[in-house]
Amino acid sequence: MRALCGARVLSLGVLHMAYVLNRLLSVILTLFLITLVTFAVTNILPGDVAMMIMGTQSNPEALAGLRQSLGLNDPLLVQYGHWVGGMVTGDWGTSLIFKKPIIELLGQKALASAIIVIMSMTIALALAVPLGVWAAVHRDKWQDTVSSSSALMGVSLPDFFWGILMILVFARWLGWFPSSGFVDPSVDFWATLRHAFLPSFALGLGLMAHLTRMTRSTMTGILSQEFIRVARAKGLAERTVIWRYALANAIGPVITIAGLQIGYLFGSIIVMESLFGYTGMGWLTYQALLNRDLPLIQYTVVFIAAVVMLTNLAVDLLYVVIDPRIRLG
Amino acid sequence: MKDIVTVDHLRVEFSTDDGPVIGVKDVSFAIAPGETLCVVGESGSGKSVTSLSLMRLVEFGGGTITNGALNFVRMDGTTLDVAAASPQVMGAVRGNEIGMIFQEPMTALNPVFTIERQLTDGLMLHKGLSQEAATARALDLLKSVRIPEPERRLKQYPHELSGGMRQRVVIAIAIAMACEPKLLIADEPTTALDVTIQAEILALINRLKRENGMAVLFITHDMAVVAQMADRVVVMRHGSIVETGTVQQIFENPQEDYTKALLAAVPKLGEMKGKAAPERMRLIGDEAARAAQTAPKPRKPQVLLQVKNLTTRFPVKGGILRRTVAQVHAVEDVSFTLNVGETLALVGESGCGKSSCGRSILRLIEPTSGEVWIGGRDIGALNRQDLRRARADMQMVFQDPFASLNPYRRLKDQVAEPIQNFGLASGAELRDWVLQLFDRVRLPREFMNRFPHELSGGQRQRVAIARALAVNPKLIVADEAVSALDVSVQAQVLNLMMELQEDLGLSYLFISHDMAVVERVAHHVGVMYLGRIVEIGPRGSVFDNPSHPYTKSLLSAVPIADPSKRRFAEDLAFKPISSPIFPLDHRPALSVYTEVAPGHHVLQA
Repeated sequence: MRALCGARVLSLGVLHMAYVLNRLLSVILTLFLITLVTFAVTNILPGDVAMMIMGTQSNPEALAGLRQSLGLNDPLLVQYGHWVGGMVTGDWGTSLIFKKPIIELLGQKALASAIIVIMSMTIALALAVPLGVWAAVHRDKWQDTVSSSSALMGVSLPDFFWGILMILVFARWLGWFPSSGFVDPSVDFWATLRHAFLPSFALGLGLMAHLTRMTRSTMTGILSQEFIRVARAKGLAERTVIWRYALANAIGPVITIAGLQIGYLFGSIIVMESLFGYTGMGWLTYQALLNRDLPLIQYTVVFIAAVVMLTNLAVDLLYVVIDPRIRLG
Repeated sequence: MKDIVTVDHLRVEFSTDDGPVIGVKDVSFAIAPGETLCVVGESGSGKSVTSLSLMRLVEFGGGTITNGALNFVRMDGTTLDVAAASPQVMGAVRGNEIGMIFQEPMTALNPVFTIERQLTDGLMLHKGLSQEAATARALDLLKSVRIPEPERRLKQYPHELSGGMRQRVVIAIAIAMACEPKLLIADEPTTALDVTIQAEILALINRLKRENGMAVLFITHDMAVVAQMADRVVVMRHGSIVETGTVQQIFENPQEDYTKALLAAVPKLGEMKGKAAPERMRLIGDEAARAAQTAPKPRKPQVLLQVKNLTTRFPVKGGILRRTVAQVHAVEDVSFTLNVGETLALVGESGCGKSSCGRSILRLIEPTSGEVWIGGRDIGALNRQDLRRARADMQMVFQDPFASLNPYRRLKDQVAEPIQNFGLASGAELRDWVLQLFDRVRLPREFMNRFPHELSGGQRQRVAIARALAVNPKLIVADEAVSALDVSVQAQVLNLMMELQEDLGLSYLFISHDMAVVERVAHHVGVMYLGRIVEIGPRGSVFDNPSHPYTKSLLSAVPIADPSKRRFAEDLAFKPISSPIFPLDHRPALSVYTEVAPGHHVLQA
């Protein structure tokens, strides 16, 4: 790829702005629908924000006063307008349980979780791609069996099992990593990574399975193509044939799957962060749900949805860089 | 001159779950510099395995060279036994001293790398050239294989090039090293290409051989290509050599029965000159069937199929709303008639619209406009139910008999299906009917209980024909029905089709790219180009007096299975076919024809 990729990115920048804008527009449209659904669902739930703040035993008059001042008596449409308006202007309100501005809270926790997401995806890809390639190169031999059964084990055992195993082995017995907690990166970045490693590794093992299988199956298909024979007939080293010629073709679908998994990852993160006492988005979501912190729930949902959609947009754009055959428009 | 390659008692085995399978049993031959050796054989003869062994690429497909020596004289004059060479040595030989071209130009290039990169990486590896020097050399190579606009091609990706251009790039890669690999191996290099592009590529290989004094090992199944290209010929069958000789010996005085049979099964363009009616293929051992061919009964021409101004366009979608932004003009104002008991062949190169035309007639795809009359019935006006019933009169045989049969059903059930579909018979009557159909297409009755994978390609195509015959159709649309078959099997299936026509009075719309086959079987021929029939008329008239420029170039590009009629010495460049995609508001002109001979019409420019 080297310089060629760079050149393609440049030409993309000029030629395909329209495509990117188009895609962004559809992301915004989807987000708008998500805000509608989120708002509707949270309003159908029994109880309201005023009740949450004052408790069920509170004075009905005071409750009514609070409702009035929070605007809960306005028509739903007006309330929705206020909510979305606040979202756009950055006035996201305050969390009921943490008594802190939601925007600040989400910013901190999202950073913590981003570390885990990136780290677990990196671990998963670093394990899955070589394992999948290895299986494809030695298709139907013992290497293939080893690769597919280890991948299958990764996916059949639940994440929390791997989490417990990690704590046991790497924290309790070997003492290499801390078993719980989160350290702010601005305080000690190295400690942040050490704390994030075990939950990331446990998540990565779960992610790895699909990626391994995807790598194996796309690589198997690519390796039987004629251009691989042509590359060998040119006298290229087998190493080059597999890791440059074949993998460059096989990596696209793997990255697509990885992008889709980011969405699933937010589900697994809830369990894993709670298990490791790691105060990120997953932990925050769990707290918000547990305490019915409606404003926080609303923003968390919209925020996660936005992250997932933007990740997938990024993957699609990356795909265009990798595969010149994809036409935009 | 000293031979550059000597293959001595080569044996190749493949390990499978069912034990070792022999790919090549015992093969020996030698090639001298400046010589083209053609290895010819039908599928499974081991010809490709032989060529892959010379590159030691056979082991990537699970094969092992278990016996024999493959002595190759290297550039420094030393002799290397390829069979025993280390992977490192093979890396230096492959692409550097032996170049190879493969069958599938569409997949032979890496889709995510530019042409430049795929040309230069070998040069940088073997010759240690800098990126700039390699690029300059790559440009020279593209020029030497006569690619139009070579500078632009370097920066392009494979999907931006046509099939013919891609094969030129693959050849450029194969001859990349100092423009003189000592040996060029070409494994079916033109099989997947249209006939005009095939002619260009064959001429290119001939020129490169002449200019560089390369030895060429040419693998093919096509006797006509052999006749055009070979100095010497090796005929292979079941992993062994049947016969070896100069091309003249093989074609004029073959010694072995198998060679004779192979040659007999090949239709030679021009051999039907002066003959009015189609004629069955000469099959060795099948003289009786040939003698049984009755002189064509003079029948009063009676129209079965009439096509008037048939037009089929496909939408090209674009934009976020997936609106139709342009149209593919697949079939454009096509008109013809087909008589009862006759064959009309539609010929043309890929993308010319011949298949779309056949499918539009059966309404397997809905035509955009035009009329189709079969036996006095307007097919276009039928509603769903009536169309279903009318399908009994018009059946289709497809190119790939494996894909067109259901792999999970017994053959007798598949042949019975159309009969049951139309409620024509059941019980014992149905069984008898199916039995007769198997007899009719000359398949043993015990095949009735088998599954498709248990049959050979030719046998499967017989089943497909039996299935088409099951409902006593009047018209059969045969879309490249013999193209995927080995030549001897092709001849048998063609003879069967002609026999059925004589006995049952069937009409065929015979869609094919193969001019030599068409000359043999057709009463009338329509030549298609860019969706239109550019020339149509009685077979003799069209072949003897081709009048449209496209028909002329098509016929001039067909290889003739006769080494005394060589045609690809000089570089050829046929006009590339333009795109059939037009904007929505494009209003094409009507097809207007001039009659150059009775019944022989040529499209006016």
